[in-house]
Amino acid sequence: MRLAGFLSALLVSAPVLACGYCVEDKIASVYDHAAITRALAQKHRVVFFHVEGALPYSLASQRDIASSVASTPGVDAGSARFKPETATLALAYDPARTSLAAVQAALEKRLARHKLSLMALQIMERPGDLKTAKR
Amino acid sequence: MTPRTLLAVLAAASVAACSPGTPPRPDPYDVSRMDLKPVPARVSAERNKGAFSDGASLSKGPELKPLDPSPVKTIRLDTTHKIIEIAPGVKFSAWTFGDQVPGPTVRARVGDRIKFVMTNRSDEAAPGLRFTAAPMMHSMDFHAAMVSPQDKYRSIAPGQTIEFEFTLNYPGIFMYHCGTPMILEHIASGMYGAVIVEPRNGYPTRVDREYVIIQSEFYAKAPAKGDKSGIYVLDTERLRAAQPTHTVFNGVHNGMVKSPLPAKPGERVRLHVLNVGPSKTSSFHVVGTIFDRVWFEGNPDNQFRGVQTVLLGSSNSAIVEFMIPEEGSYIMVDHHFANASQGAIGLISTAVKPPVQELEHHNMPSVDATPTDPEAVRGQLAFQSKCLACHSIGQGKKLGPDLAGVTKHRDVAWLTRWLKSPETMLKTDEHAKAMLKEFNNIPMPNQSLTDGEIREFIKYFQWYDAQPAGTVPHSAGGH
Repeated sequence: MRLAGFLSALLVSAPVLACGYCVEDKIASVYDHAAITRALAQKHRVVFFHVEGALPYSLASQRDIASSVASTPGVDAGSARFKPETATLALAYDPARTSLAAVQAALEKRLARHKLSLMALQIMERPGDLKTAKR
Repeated sequence: MTPRTLLAVLAAASVAACSPGTPPRPDPYDVSRMDLKPVPARVSAERNKGAFSDGASLSKGPELKPLDPSPVKTIRLDTTHKIIEIAPGVKFSAWTFGDQVPGPTVRARVGDRIKFVMTNRSDEAAPGLRFTAAPMMHSMDFHAAMVSPQDKYRSIAPGQTIEFEFTLNYPGIFMYHCGTPMILEHIASGMYGAVIVEPRNGYPTRVDREYVIIQSEFYAKAPAKGDKSGIYVLDTERLRAAQPTHTVFNGVHNGMVKSPLPAKPGERVRLHVLNVGPSKTSSFHVVGTIFDRVWFEGNPDNQFRGVQTVLLGSSNSAIVEFMIPEEGSYIMVDHHFANASQGAIGLISTAVKPPVQELEHHNMPSVDATPTDPEAVRGQLAFQSKCLACHSIGQGKKLGPDLAGVTKHRDVAWLTRWLKSPETMLKTDEHAKAMLKEFNNIPMPNQSLTDGEIREFIKYFQWYDAQPAGTVPHSAGGH
């Protein structure tokens, strides 16, 4: 019974139809053009993270992670996009007020209770210009 | 000949075949002779503002251009979001390569180098329209290439451009498609096309006509009530359940019935057929002829002779060649007739405009008479998909009654009750009981129609009955 429960949870949470393996595929899974356009128009930056660690299967835990990210200081309001299926997170921040390293540190502090850490994949400073993220 | 003698003869023949004097036939697929030299893909923020597709090797319609002799073929296929009409009155929010569905067909031959460039222009507004899908990342996956997917098939954001190159090593008809998650949604939204790779020395037969036929499915959801855009969007529930609303050749419901492909009696026709799915199998058949040759996957090394139907899974292909024996319209069809009834029909015709009656033998409706009211359009399509086996409209009785004039004999309330629950009506209504008797006690099955579907059927019947005599073509049940 426990095995069946585990398997059904696995199926529910499996990355349906997406390989989620390539960096670009991960970014595509959280890419929100309207949110990105809004951020870049304010000269903010959009960063895409890989979420490292065992992501919880329960929707409640996933929602908890998303709200933790959204309320982290430095993260633009309404900009966070989290996709558990591809373990990817996108958000915007204002480089005039904070740095990528500071945002990442603040996020990881909040995600520590879920035993999750972040790896910055790519960053967008101008439309159509994705670059490898450097802290 | 005794068994011992036979063995001796076979052994001698075998030795002779392997003797040093007989040079071994070179393997045309010797991997050591293939060009697999990788050149890294390049991604930039340079946006193309010119044509959405470009290249001498591209054909934009079913008629294939002759092979471009250049050994290096430069191809541009930009991605766009646009509204396309997949059936009369069904305007669908599509995602495209080269601003068309299917994307342009690439024609090349083994050994050719393809230099490919693509700008993601999904963020460009479609002229005159307020509504298209949100801009998103896209990519290109060429089945004809042997390359690292992580390098060449990476997704690019709106405004970005990717360039990569590869050499064609195998002959065949190969699919190309967007490979960005969710792949299923990208293909079902229209992001696919064909690459035709001829053998290095050409095909072993000569033909008079060549066409490309691409079969695909659409999963279209009607606009919500109150949505005045009139635009259909992808129905993701039907998509995941593999329940298409339209199955089509070359992107349009019954498209090549309206615009048949020309051929003349005595001519040999070569069709390059590709089923892109994304989820259905095709039983490709041409009524009135037999495929003289079938090259599965478009490779002459995979040959069958005298074939009636070719079974193609999703992303399978075949070249079929046949003769046009006499004057007539030869009907291309997916012989899974559920698919055909959703629009996978086309004609190869010796006449410029084939008479519409020719389709009647196959339960294939005319597409010339079309209502404009969206509900009536949906009703017509549903009628053509579900009802023609038992009913006609204007062509007399079949298993069930001819439905021409039905809205003049029965009011909307009666028709609604009948379509909602025929089994109840057969117990309680005198007209229904009389009809059952007239039609050999064959009851109308309950089609489990929703109220909206019933309204659409009635709207179609009302439209039909309102047409002046002689204005609806005969095969659509003209008066």
